[in-house]
Amino acid sequence: MLTFIARRLLFLPIVLIGVTLMVFVVMSFLTPYQLVSAYIKSPEELKNQSLDDLVRKYGLDQPAHIRYINWVKNLLKGDLGYSKSANMRVTEAISKRFPATIELALFSIIPVIFGGIWLGTISAKHYNRPLDHISRTFAIIGWSLPDFVFGLIMLMIFYGVLGWFPPGRLSMWADTIVLTGDFVRYTGMNTVDAILNWRWDIFLDALRHLAAPIITLSYLWWAYLLRITRSSMLEVLNKDYVRTARAKGLGEKVVVNRHVRRNALIPVATVSGSMVLGLLGGVVIVETVFDYKGIGLLTATGAQQLDYTLILGTTLFYGLLLVVTNLIVDVLYAFIDPRVRLE
Amino acid sequence: MKAKYQVVFVLLLIVVMSASVFGAPFDPETFVYVGGAGAPQTLDPAAAYDTASGEVIHQVYDTLFEYVDGDLEQLGPMLATEVPSVENGLMSEDGLTIRVPIRQGVKFHNGAVLTPEDVRYTFLRNMLSDPAGGPMWMFLEPLLDVQTMAKVIEMAGGPADFAEIDEVDAEVLRRAYDLVAATIEVDGNDVVFHLATPYPPFINILTKGGSWGAILNKEWMIANGAWDGDPETWSQWYDLALEDMTCYDKANGTGPFKLETWDKSGNQTIFSRFDEYWQGPAKIKTAFIKDIKELSTRLLMLQAGDADGIYVGKDELNQVRSLDNVVVIEGLPQVVNTVLFYSFTIPTEGNEDLVGSGKLDGNGIPSDFFADVDIRKAFNYSFDYEAYLNEVAEGAGVIPKGPIPQILPFVNLDQEYYTHDLAKAEEHFKKAFGGEVWEKGFEVGIVYNTGNDQRKTALEILEYNIESINPKFKVNVVSMEWATMLDKLRSSSLPIFIIGWLMDFPDTHNFAVPYMHSDGTFAGYCGQGLIDLAKEEFDDLVNAGIKATDPEEREKIYFELQKRYVDLAIGMPYVEETTHRVMRDWVRNFHYSPAWSANFDFYSVYKEVK
Repeated sequence: MLTFIARRLLFLPIVLIGVTLMVFVVMSFLTPYQLVSAYIKSPEELKNQSLDDLVRKYGLDQPAHIRYINWVKNLLKGDLGYSKSANMRVTEAISKRFPATIELALFSIIPVIFGGIWLGTISAKHYNRPLDHISRTFAIIGWSLPDFVFGLIMLMIFYGVLGWFPPGRLSMWADTIVLTGDFVRYTGMNTVDAILNWRWDIFLDALRHLAAPIITLSYLWWAYLLRITRSSMLEVLNKDYVRTARAKGLGEKVVVNRHVRRNALIPVATVSGSMVLGLLGGVVIVETVFDYKGIGLLTATGAQQLDYTLILGTTLFYGLLLVVTNLIVDVLYAFIDPRVRLE
Repeated sequence: MKAKYQVVFVLLLIVVMSASVFGAPFDPETFVYVGGAGAPQTLDPAAAYDTASGEVIHQVYDTLFEYVDGDLEQLGPMLATEVPSVENGLMSEDGLTIRVPIRQGVKFHNGAVLTPEDVRYTFLRNMLSDPAGGPMWMFLEPLLDVQTMAKVIEMAGGPADFAEIDEVDAEVLRRAYDLVAATIEVDGNDVVFHLATPYPPFINILTKGGSWGAILNKEWMIANGAWDGDPETWSQWYDLALEDMTCYDKANGTGPFKLETWDKSGNQTIFSRFDEYWQGPAKIKTAFIKDIKELSTRLLMLQAGDADGIYVGKDELNQVRSLDNVVVIEGLPQVVNTVLFYSFTIPTEGNEDLVGSGKLDGNGIPSDFFADVDIRKAFNYSFDYEAYLNEVAEGAGVIPKGPIPQILPFVNLDQEYYTHDLAKAEEHFKKAFGGEVWEKGFEVGIVYNTGNDQRKTALEILEYNIESINPKFKVNVVSMEWATMLDKLRSSSLPIFIIGWLMDFPDTHNFAVPYMHSDGTFAGYCGQGLIDLAKEEFDDLVNAGIKATDPEEREKIYFELQKRYVDLAIGMPYVEETTHRVMRDWVRNFHYSPAWSANFDFYSVYKEVK
């Protein structure tokens, strides 16, 4: 297994160079005056601006290959450049926004995966009976709803009507403490930092702000997992060893939990891996609606503003994330299914 | 119920319950403004030139003068003790020497006391740093009669063009410093400005409005890495990237609020009250400026009481007018106009999507299509100004009388302007290009920046009317991403485009230069044809207008400029819009000035439930 992991890691630099080079080649089709739009964001900002001066000042007139070489040189020094759209260095932007995304992903992944598997199991167990139809309809509605619309509905219900779960990552009173007081930022994840600072009020406030995005993400993604789990379960339910287990007189719960569900989880694990990756890559729409400043919103804003340093930085970061997450999923396979051998 | 479900239920209950325990529905000492137009670019007054940056700087810094009650015609002292005038002897007869007595006992947020040397250092440091695209031209122009430090270096015997300032000889740099330093001196408790040319609005530039007049604390600046005041070293701080400038994300002013933090990753700025403020402490203790793109989120925050004021676009006002507990103040005057520009010399090669064949053959337009005054007049007569004002701008504004907003002085309100008159438009189309346009027709692409629906509608009004005049006329309204539009603007490739101009300072000159001078912001985007015409028709008058100190003489000059602009149909100013504010009904003492960058002045407002 170690050889497998080492070999996959060896591919990492090649993947990263490949993806960043690809982005750079695409960006090189843009003229310096298109790139300067990162500095002049609207027609109203043209006031007394010399476009030529800005192009020269920020080196946008250099040939693309020179800019790429400079970028790689800086990268080797740990500097991903300055992002105009984020108003900070790219490394700082990623390090500040990614913990928010991890936090949302960590809290979402449990209800998303377990809820999806639970619904899928119920559907399969009650195949073609009312409970199957109800759970499938419930989940498919979620899958069909545009995330923007559903997010807004959630925000209106839980914030506008009930006043329970506000947008943002923290309330303003909590922000004042976290940003200007003695509160120590250990991880950038509000819930974890709140516990480490022994601030339960901030912990609960952070949870309140996470609740609505989690509910939204869970409902939107349950249908996907339900379908995978259900079909996989139905396939396993018809296997000989399941029939044998039942014939042995094992209770239905034991059969389902121990013999069926466990074996049906392999495709679910594959899908869950890509779901985690999707969550870690940021969920732009949910972040936008709930004003949850994660890495998805950061990347989307950077791309909209042609902020090429940020685009390159986040591409590099996503590349790294993709390779490492896929590696983890492959290794997990071997643990779930002893028949799988990593070679 | 199983134990695990009980745990989940209890946890959920705690989270929900915490909403009522920790949520603060009404806090009279905290003011929250939620904008949606973007984050500040920098907090350094030498570089800040966008509204979002000005919004923050407004709360933290004071300037030498202010508009009394926000009235643009009433100047009052702020960090100065008197407004200089010829009458009170603080301004010389020729307007070239202006003496400003500095208020004593004013404290900066770090506890330092304001001195005249702080004032001198502020403007010297800001001018010498002159970041590209910044507002320092407003000081360099009156004090040195140039627009950039690069030009000062040239005046000092340096090269006309240089890539890096390190290439410039040290002696030249020293001479350049001397030129700048000689413009401002400290005399006892006064600061004396020596202008290179009479510049009537100079005091307006030093007045609270934009961010460029903010006064810095020399000692604190140096301690935080700014220029140390040494004449030999200033070039190390010249034209730095915004993020490398000292006040990029920190501040120490004399204003009513201290900057606690600019949380860039959270798109918010937090302020705390400065209790030693020289005019007395504010009623608000903590203030937030947040930036949230999504209108629905902002609206819900306002309704929930988490925001006291929010940004709402003009075309979105219908969504807030009828809301309970929400106040919408409309019709607030602002010094702004929106203008449709014509490019006089359009490159045809590689620009087929907008100019078609590049010839006057019915399938395109030639490069000099809009160089013909009859074409421009025909377009101007084709636009339905009233319909736009009433239907799109919802009546919030006025139809212009030329390129200078009517709220400013020296605007001839009796100037005859274009109206929606298709008969006259037809008449001019028939005259254009010796009748060829009418005979052969044309096809042209006219551009707005994607997402700007008001501009799209304006162009559609134009399209509808022009196409109704002659079936051979084809106008295509084109949506273009801003990056592409900027690239095309630079090469004057857009036959028609729309841009608005928001004043820097309330003087006619601030509109005359960008719209009419050959070196102005827009001439370059309208092609060589307009540059040549501007040199011939406008430059001398624009230059004379700013140098004239007699108001009557200025009026005469600007009336003439306005007349020429309209007669020659250089562009089509089509609306001067008013603005609005949306806030909770518990906001009291809302003050407004057309000069302010800030949507809300946190010093004047307070909160009180009825």
